[in-house]
Amino acid sequence: MTEAGNRAHSGWRAIARRARAFARGAGAVDRSLWPFLFIISLFALMALLSPWIAPADPLRQNLLGRLAPPLSEIRGVFHLLGTDELGRDIASRIVYGARVSLAVAFLSVLLSGAAGATLGMLAAYRRGLIETLVMRLVDVFLSIPAILLAIITVAVLGPGLWNVVLVLALTRWPRYARVAYGQTLSIAGRPFLQYADYVGASTRRQILVHILPNIVGALIVVATLEFGLMVLFEAGLSFLGLGVQPPTPSWGGMLSVGKDYVASAWWLAAAPGLCLFLLVLAVNVVGDRLSDQFELRVR
Amino acid sequence: MKQQEVRLSRLALVVWVGAVAAFAGALADTAHADVKDRLVIDLAGEPSSLDPHMQWNPDSYYVYRNIFDNLYTRDDNGEIRGVLVEDHAYLDETRILLTIREGVRFHDGTPLTAEDAAYSIRRIFDPALGSPQTGQFNKIVDARAVDRNHVELTTDGPYPALFDQLVKLSVVPMHYVEAVGGDAFNRQPMGSGPYRFMRWRRGVDVTLTRNSDYWGDIGGFETVVFRAVPDMSTRVANLRSGASDLVVGLNADIVRQLHGRSGLKILTVNTTRVAYLRLNTLRPPLDDSRIRRAIAHAVDKEAIVAGLLDSYAEPSDVMVTPEQFGWARDVPAPAYDPGQARALVKAAGGAAKRPLVFATAPVFDARIVQALQQMLSDAGLDVRIETTDMANYLARVRDRGAQAPHLNFGRWSCACRDADNVLYPLLHSSSEWSAVLDGDLDAALETARGTLDADRRLRLYSEIHRRVAAESLLVPLYQTSVIYGARADLEWRPTPDESMFLNRMGWAP
Amino acid sequence: MPGFFIKRLLHSLIALFGTVTLVFFVQRLAGDPTLLLAPEGATAEDIERLRSALGLDRSVLVQYLDYLSSLARFDFGRSLAQQVPVSEILLPPQPYTLALAGGALLVALCLGLPVGGVIALRAGSATAKLLTGLVLAGQSMPTFWSGILLILLFAVTLGWLPSSGAETATSIILPALSLGFLSMATFARVTRNAVLNELGKAYVRTARSKGLSEWLIFRRHLLRNSAIPIVTIAAIELANLLAGAVIVETVFAWPGLGQLTVQAINARDFPVVQAVVLLGGAVAIALNLIADLLYSSIDPRIRIQRAAP
Repeated sequence: MTEAGNRAHSGWRAIARRARAFARGAGAVDRSLWPFLFIISLFALMALLSPWIAPADPLRQNLLGRLAPPLSEIRGVFHLLGTDELGRDIASRIVYGARVSLAVAFLSVLLSGAAGATLGMLAAYRRGLIETLVMRLVDVFLSIPAILLAIITVAVLGPGLWNVVLVLALTRWPRYARVAYGQTLSIAGRPFLQYADYVGASTRRQILVHILPNIVGALIVVATLEFGLMVLFEAGLSFLGLGVQPPTPSWGGMLSVGKDYVASAWWLAAAPGLCLFLLVLAVNVVGDRLSDQFELRVR
Repeated sequence: MKQQEVRLSRLALVVWVGAVAAFAGALADTAHADVKDRLVIDLAGEPSSLDPHMQWNPDSYYVYRNIFDNLYTRDDNGEIRGVLVEDHAYLDETRILLTIREGVRFHDGTPLTAEDAAYSIRRIFDPALGSPQTGQFNKIVDARAVDRNHVELTTDGPYPALFDQLVKLSVVPMHYVEAVGGDAFNRQPMGSGPYRFMRWRRGVDVTLTRNSDYWGDIGGFETVVFRAVPDMSTRVANLRSGASDLVVGLNADIVRQLHGRSGLKILTVNTTRVAYLRLNTLRPPLDDSRIRRAIAHAVDKEAIVAGLLDSYAEPSDVMVTPEQFGWARDVPAPAYDPGQARALVKAAGGAAKRPLVFATAPVFDARIVQALQQMLSDAGLDVRIETTDMANYLARVRDRGAQAPHLNFGRWSCACRDADNVLYPLLHSSSEWSAVLDGDLDAALETARGTLDADRRLRLYSEIHRRVAAESLLVPLYQTSVIYGARADLEWRPTPDESMFLNRMGWAP
Repeated sequence: MPGFFIKRLLHSLIALFGTVTLVFFVQRLAGDPTLLLAPEGATAEDIERLRSALGLDRSVLVQYLDYLSSLARFDFGRSLAQQVPVSEILLPPQPYTLALAGGALLVALCLGLPVGGVIALRAGSATAKLLTGLVLAGQSMPTFWSGILLILLFAVTLGWLPSSGAETATSIILPALSLGFLSMATFARVTRNAVLNELGKAYVRTARSKGLSEWLIFRRHLLRNSAIPIVTIAAIELANLLAGAVIVETVFAWPGLGQLTVQAINARDFPVVQAVVLLGGAVAIALNLIADLLYSSIDPRIRIQRAAP
């Protein structure tokens, strides 16, 4: 094992140490974070266990029992949160909607984060032509309207959950690329990197072992902020009719339908609106705390 | 130094706040005193063109139709009535002489002559104009002014739907259009209609003023403003807050907000559009008539109309409405029978297990599409909704290849009163909008298109409806209605053609 | 210095050219406007005739070269859907977009800065928690939702403000609020972090020991020293806002560039989309350059750090 390798391990070890400290901090010291972690785990559980939790079939329509207010009973079925514009049980759609909303947000953050970070680090590390190409590509993608990308993606690949993820990843990767690029540049002159260069570590090794651990904190902070945004973007795509396909429930889709019923059947939008709010709130608070913990701030 | 900076940033802030306020102030001088002489109408979008020979999507049509006079119109009862044409006479089967009304003047005072009428017809075919409407009038091969008030039209064969098409033809002033050119004409349209064009603030609104010298019924409002308000909830909010007097494009659920509100009312009328489920008979498994029949049996039109549309629609078994020529009653269409549907699907075996792609677009009511999907799923079919924007949806529907969707939702809009304009494009094998290959059907459609004998045509269309029902080539769903929200004291009778004649509107005394 | 900016400008222009080219080819993958323009039921010949009248039957490469040569003459072409020069469509929305972006930024700054300051200065207090909740509520509400709520409350129920459009001076208030709430959270967050950073420093302790009020310290010292991250964020936010707020404009029927963009894309009005993308790209480049200039004038140390491209 070379000196560089040891250094590298210490880089990841430091991360693990900080993570442990964070977990300890969350557990023992900072009780104020508990409710937010609880909300996130609750939604995650809802998403994972929806078939067992949901009180009814989220797709089952009842055209004669449409727009029933919360706590009503229709033909012997109790609807805790009422029914929607097609008479479907809102509570069940919330439970299943967690699945879609969390999956879309999680996957798009993962995809855009992985792509953006890799390109950003590569640009900063290799400099030269790659740097110019990647950073100009970032500019190009930042100036194409997201809606244009969305419509074209749907046109070429067809609609669906995976393509929503793709649309979001295509529009959001430049943010990660910029952060990764800036952070990598700021550590570029550090001795351990120069040393690793000197002993001839490969680009892949340099990036994975030496650079990534040093900038992962910043990326995680961006990712948590983006996570909340992705949930909202999915709602925006639903508003424009380009989101996850009906009848699959998603919180964003439910909210955008509910908008037209605010004045006549408020409960259609209330539940998904509250869930979206709680999710974005919890993710942001935890993200803020993470950023304090890593003592990193993102411009 | 520091002090200076502070002052500078304060100055910047003041300038900025001032700029925003000044902009707001600039808007203020366009604010209006709320006078009853001003009617505000909220459309879903702004007109794409005010040149009547270019576009005729509803948002353009609502507006320019009031600036121009057409050769014919339909009265409130749907009867064709001459406007600029006083009389017509057939010279033979393909030539017709129109007598143009005298004493009509354009807004600049120039008299409207047969020359203008003939020019307007010829202008539509002019390849240099590139009008999307060309195809609507391509049966007319020539139009020429015989004298000051007579126009002779020549068609390329007997053409029963001619008058129905001429209802859509606006007459433009030849001298003006030729002098200023198409761009300036579109910017500053001038016609002979009951309202004059005043201004078009792009993206905001179009304002018309009353033509007090109009030869016919004079409009009831001094000025009329058409605004573009894309969101339906916002249009209703505008109506409720008193910002607008008439709003278009509402659905049955949103008008629940207007129920029981004093000062507001709901206006509705059944249109000439039939909502339908198109089955792609060219693509397996829908080439199997059993599965098509299963779909027809699985759809509960009554439940959709009563449950989802609050009966703002009429279940329909044919693709034509009673307001149109070619409608037929008592066509034996497959009735709602979920048991029969399930049995047919079962009988079809493995083929019925294939996933069916159901194409739709954001403009179509997603609730209806989902309800249909549920009904078909209940029959044992695997139906997947695919929403794409309108441009893609139309391309997919026209596609006849292996990628074409199995099913699509549609709402045929021919803005016409003749079955030919609905059935021919939807069913004739030569049309790209059709997914049917049926020689007998083609022959019947062609004969009906080229016959002037009304009784014979009615019999032919009745046959066609029966064949469509027997083979389940399409599933007609319901006659759609159009729903408007209005101030209670606005007197207006909406028409099935979704036109909006301002001079047939007024305030209740 | 000038050399660096010229290089940057050059790179940005190349990126802009790349964007325009990419958009040109990519949008032609997704259909064309003829089917939307032709009446339903139009025959194949009608559609072909229309396509050729619009010049869309030529090869894509020919169209592209044609576009470039017009662009070189500052001719943005004609709208396919509306049949008028693109500039005629593109100019009217601009004052509205500027005003809405300015108004939203004003809302975001006026609310975000003090709120961020209070959250930092009164960390852990009930007020801070409440404000944090409010900020996040603003951030977690989709604009189509906050928009309709604002309309129902202020226009329909209270009747204080116009429900939509741009007809009176007060029309801008609701859309600016709806849009500003989103950016407010960003400003509050940045302010909070920056202020927390400064709080530990000696001059703040000195000021406190002199007995200056917290608010005065915040205004006089903290805010100024937090200016750089705030200016950065403001530049980014402004670029976002100027790109047009599609959903807010749709809900409030605000005649800005966002609505125009969506309509043009939906109508496949290629020349209009090209022009919108070109305009957006040019604005982004200009703002980036201005932000860079601002940094170096606020803090000379930045110059060295940002010398990288």
